[in-house]
This record gives sequence, structure tokens and C-alpha cells, in this order.
Amino acid sequence: MSEWVLSLQKEYKVFAPIARRKDVSFQEIMDPDEVILDYKTTTLPPKKFFHLTETLVEYDEEGNFKAPKMDPQEPILLLGVHSCDLNAIMKQDRLFSEDYVDTYYQRRRENSAIIAITCIEPGENCFCGSLGTGPTVEKGYDILLTDIGDGYLVETGSEKGESMIDGLILDEASNEQTAEKNRRVNTASDLLLKSIRMEGLGDHANNNLNHEVWTKIGEEGGLAGCFPCLSCGNCSLVCPTCYCYEVADIPSISLKDGVRRRELDSCQLLEYSKVALNHNFRPERKDRTRNWMICKFGGAGGQMNSSCVGCGRCIKACPAHIDLTEVAKSLWGE
Amino acid sequence: MPRKAMIKEIVEETYDTKTFTFEYVNGEPKGMEFKPGQFAMIYIPGVGEAAISISQDPDELKSLDLTIRNVGSVTGVLFSKTVGDTIGLRGPYGKGWPYEEAKGKNVLVITGGCGNGALRPIVYAQRNDPSRFRYLEVLHGARSPDDHIFRSSYEEEWAKIPNCGILLSSDAVPSGQSWDHKVGFVNSLLKDMRSKPEETYVMMCGPEVMMKFTCLDLLNLGFTQEQIYVSMERRMRCGVGFCGHCQIGSKYVCKDGPVFSYAELQELPDHIVR
Repeated sequence: MSEWVLSLQKEYKVFAPIARRKDVSFQEIMDPDEVILDYKTTTLPPKKFFHLTETLVEYDEEGNFKAPKMDPQEPILLLGVHSCDLNAIMKQDRLFSEDYVDTYYQRRRENSAIIAITCIEPGENCFCGSLGTGPTVEKGYDILLTDIGDGYLVETGSEKGESMIDGLILDEASNEQTAEKNRRVNTASDLLLKSIRMEGLGDHANNNLNHEVWTKIGEEGGLAGCFPCLSCGNCSLVCPTCYCYEVADIPSISLKDGVRRRELDSCQLLEYSKVALNHNFRPERKDRTRNWMICKFGGAGGQMNSSCVGCGRCIKACPAHIDLTEVAKSLWGE
Repeated sequence: MPRKAMIKEIVEETYDTKTFTFEYVNGEPKGMEFKPGQFAMIYIPGVGEAAISISQDPDELKSLDLTIRNVGSVTGVLFSKTVGDTIGLRGPYGKGWPYEEAKGKNVLVITGGCGNGALRPIVYAQRNDPSRFRYLEVLHGARSPDDHIFRSSYEEEWAKIPNCGILLSSDAVPSGQSWDHKVGFVNSLLKDMRSKPEETYVMMCGPEVMMKFTCLDLLNLGFTQEQIYVSMERRMRCGVGFCGHCQIGSKYVCKDGPVFSYAELQELPDHIVR
């Protein structure tokens, strides 16, 4: 494995989950042995490689605009992407190519390769099983690895993937080995502690805009022991499908020229819906948390492109202990 | 990507509202091909962008008129610009008024304040082709006589368009201002209008609170939720359904709007037009 990763590093800048303080994070790897493939979850999802900040426009003193120079980028390889995160990447691929093509995003994606990995041991907040986004994945990867005990089952999903294993001496997988993958996927599914009833949830939530659960999470607390939302925006930052961004000009020190940049934003922040004359369309926390939840339930403008993939990061990152699966249960009356 | 555009003309409509005529510096046409009700993004480098409904004659591509009220950071800087200065411009974006559908039918335009700018293309379309709509009636209200944009056009130009009528109201008339039209909110004009629900498209733009009560009055008069269209304002950053800011529930105002039917809005959260 280490040798293989070293050989891939000749062609790609390789990012993989490694230990960072008390958590695991996708970082560029210096030593293949530091890679942790049996991790539970990373602090930030892989969206940080494709959609975090971007320069959109450069303006000069004469008021001319030009697109930023597209320097040739070193191809990157993400090693060890979980199926929930890969599903989120596929959603963003769809969003940024459907009606309009976002060339900035697409360029980063085209310059990337993904080696996904089947989850064998899900984390305590995971619920991909209810959403069909895990523990394993059928498409979207260049290579899919599954730990089957005595080694990894290797499946390729693209020509890029084929070329990445070119030169490796791999045994043909036996029926038992394939069966072992399925057995492990089933075991992982059984280990999932949380679940969500997603079908029709977006519409159901939109039909229950005055449900008491919105007051609980936004103002009073008390849903499965949660506190009211603190409007910190953690949930958006760690959510692999949250793509909303803010755009702002950053002038140079001369103030004569500068750049227009975008960076991730969160609908949980007060300024998100503010317009001229200080009017705010979502001034209350309960408006904003409701907006976010309905978005994750597939009932917002992003439809299924911004809906939940069950990674559980928002549950872990929420300082008020708001649990999206509990919000869904409450809406369904469960 | 915004394109450089030059200010060719500035008309002072009121003390806080101006109509800017822009021309793209490079390329043809110098204006923008758009559908009435769509909006453009103006960009002041170093400050930011703002979404503005297009008030241009839809049959005229040689320049672009935007009627803008000085209310925010971008518009504030724009108001310090003069003829010959350049800014950035991109668009058009969004879905406009049911302009094609309303051909040959009656149109009732109801606007408040600078919301009238978003409907001026409809009035110009009738001026260019008086058989475009069977009858076009404009009800326009503002807070005071001095808040009426296009004020000189109403009687001199708009009222003379065949198959077109205009009714004006002012919420109040402060001392020192003269007014020989209705005093009251714009919905007080509903009882004076000749428009009937039959074969009529209602197109409305103004503050949400004005649209809320005017819509309720129209429903009482027998208009249906499906024949009333309103233009919504939201914070906008991208204009193409990526940045998220303008969403109202399941809709993006930039992509699915800014024009929505009243019926569509009833299912959406975070607005008061219901």
C-alpha cells in the first residue's frame, strides 16, 4: 500500500486522512504510513478542496475586469474518501454544471482523482444507511477500496482509476472476497446508531412551517436535550453539501485595484439574508435554523443538490447539541 | 463576469432615485437583450454588486436603463458617479413577467415607490405597440408626491398611450408639496380602476407589506391567486442559483423568480405576501 501511494505521489499531490490534534483531517501526506484509512470522520469534508475560496474577478485602476489567470494546477488525489462525502461531491458536481457551468469548480474537479473507501465501522453520528449514501458507494470514484481483512478489495470506476493501478500486481478477487465485502457492508449498516426518514421530508417540513420543533431548536432548546441554536454557522462549515457562498471585493493596499472573491457562507449567520435599509428576511434564529434544516431535508432551493448525506458532522460540530435526525423525528411525530 | 459599462445619462427621478442609462464599452449590443421583469447586476469595483430590475424599453437594445434608489453601499457609491464614469454590469437574470402570455389580454400593473421601475418595460411595450395588451392599467403609489418616480411621464406620456390608463396615489401629502391625485395607499385605487378579473394579468412590484395588502384586496375583488404576479427582492450575490442568499424556501429568487405568482408564494416561508 505504502509503495503504491508513493508511486501515486509522482503524478498527484496526495491528500488523505491523517491525525490532527484530536481529530482526523484530509491533509497532504508526507509519509504514506501516517494515512488512517479506518477513520470515522474528518473535521471538514473534502469540499474544502473544490469549493472553499476562489478569486472570481480581477479589477484594475481603469475599471477593467478580467478573469484571474488560471495557473496550471498540480493534479490532486484524495485518498480514502467515504461514500457519504463522495455522494456530496457528486451533488456539487451536479449543482455546478446543471443550469450554469461553474468553471472554477469544474476546473478543480477535473484536476482531481478520488480513491473512495467503504466504511467498515461507522461513527456514532452517522446515518448514511437511511439515505442510500453509504456505507459503500457504486459510482463517482476512480477507485474504491474495501478492507476485507486480509487486504483491500480494489474496484475501478474510471479510466483514470484503471491507470492508477496500472503496474500493480493484483489478484483477481475471489467470490469469497466479494462476499466478504458485502458481509462487511451489511455489518457496517447494522452498526449505524442513527437513522432518518427522508422520503418526502422536505415537503413535509415545508408543510409544517409552524411546527413547535422550529421554536425548540431556534429559541427554547429541549429537543433531545439540545440548547437553542447559537447561530455559529459550524453546521454549514462542516456540512459536505452546504455550498452557499458570499462574494466580496478585496482591494489591494493602494485601493486602486483588487480582486473579487467568494468564500463559503452560512445561512445561520445574521447577515446572510440582509438587504439594503437593514432589512433582514430571516432575522430570528428560528427562521434561520428552519431554513437550514429544510435545506438538508431537500426542501430548499438547492433541492437534492444541497440535501443531507448522513455524515453526522453537523451533530458532532453543534455546540448546542442540535441533532438533525431528532428534528426529522419530531416533524414526523415519532 | 461583469463587463465594463459607461454611464451615458442620469435622470434625477426624485430626491433619492435616479435613472442611469448605461452602455457597454465593448461589444454589441451596447444594451442588454432582456425580458421585462428580469434584473441586472451592477458592480462597483471595490464595493460590490447589487441586483436591479431593468427599467429599459424592451425593444431598444442600444443602451440599458436602470432606475435605482440610493439605499445601500453599492447604490450609495453609484450615486456619486457622473456621466462618463464606468462601472461593471452583467445580466440579465431571472424569469420576468408573464409578458408573452399576456399578449392580447388585459394587464393591471400595481407598483409602490421605485418598484415602478420594474414595470416600465411593460408600459413601453404598450407604447411601442398599443395593441400589445388589450388594456393596460397602471396603479402607482408612493409615500409622498415627491417620492413619485417618472412623475413627469405619467400625464405627458403614459396617459396618452392608446389602451392605457394610469391612476396615482400618495400615502400622504406633506405641507409644501402639491398633489391633485388620490391620497391614500396604492390599494385605495382599486375601487377606481376599470380592470376586472376576466382575462387580466396582474403585475405587482413594491415593498412586501404593500403587496401583501393589495393582493388580499384583489382576492376579495375576485382575482385568483394564479393571475397575480409579484416581484420579490432578496440579497443576491451570484444571480445564477449558486450562492444561496436569495432563496425563499424551495425557490431561488434569482433563477426561479424574481417574479412569482401569488399562488407559488403561498407555499414558501420567510415572506409576508400571503
